[in-house]
Amino acid sequence: MKTLLKFFAVIILSLPFWGCATSGPKYSELLPALSTPPDTGRIYIYRTTVFGAAVQPEVKLNGEVVGKAIPKGFFYVDKKPGTYEILTSTEVDRKLSLLLECAQTRYVRLNMAMGFFVGHVYPELIDSETAEKEIQDCQYTGAELNVQNK
Amino acid sequence: MKLTLSIPVSCLLFALLHSCAFDVVRVTQIPTKLDSLALTKSSFELDKEVTVNLDTGYSRVLKKGTRWACVGAIPEGDVYKTKDQILTIEGSNIHEAYIVLKSQDLVGFYLPVERTFSPLSNPIAISAKEIVNNP
Repeated sequence: MKTLLKFFAVIILSLPFWGCATSGPKYSELLPALSTPPDTGRIYIYRTTVFGAAVQPEVKLNGEVVGKAIPKGFFYVDKKPGTYEILTSTEVDRKLSLLLECAQTRYVRLNMAMGFFVGHVYPELIDSETAEKEIQDCQYTGAELNVQNK
Repeated sequence: MKLTLSIPVSCLLFALLHSCAFDVVRVTQIPTKLDSLALTKSSFELDKEVTVNLDTGYSRVLKKGTRWACVGAIPEGDVYKTKDQILTIEGSNIHEAYIVLKSQDLVGFYLPVERTFSPLSNPIAISAKEIVNNP
């Protein structure tokens, strides 16, 4: 009985840390090699908090899945200038609408908020100065890595 | 019998709560049309910080010293944007926003993605330090 209790205790205690093992290169390491293709803008999407780490919804950009909300992780998308909606879904949908201009870099932080059954992840537009400080230690989690050596 | 009834009642309550509990704070939006040809107004710099209390319960601060350039007009007023700070308005969702002024009063926000106007219940007088021409 005690063994069973210990087993469940370990499972419960480890829950908040599931999915914490972000393993890609850090933003600060990748930055010098990341150039934006011409005629596009870039949106960095990152999550600094490990609070609610087990909650890692997909991130959609205008309906297309572009990544996941992985704690301490970041990814980016290069898109043509235009209007964009970033959506995360847990027990509810949370949306951020933003404009992207040519050669512009925008930063979107994925925040955690309390939910009824599951925490909510919501995207928030962050100014470059703040974002560049926060994202430094985040690790790359995107699928597509377009690294060009300068 | 009581147990038999309590299960469907619980399910119903759960379904109701699940579907609506966190999606009730909506930003008021009125469809509008931005006339970007109406670039007759100058840019300005905010003389004082402005705190805007949104009807959704959130607040936003327009920072002192930020420069705002006119990008056009809508029937509700002139529309200004800035590159000096991020401006969004927030309810259950977050929307990038420009400010809308009418006779030096902040009357609401223009949402460029949604192309809508979001009015403020109480317009706020804006104090502009300097009026300069558009570059």
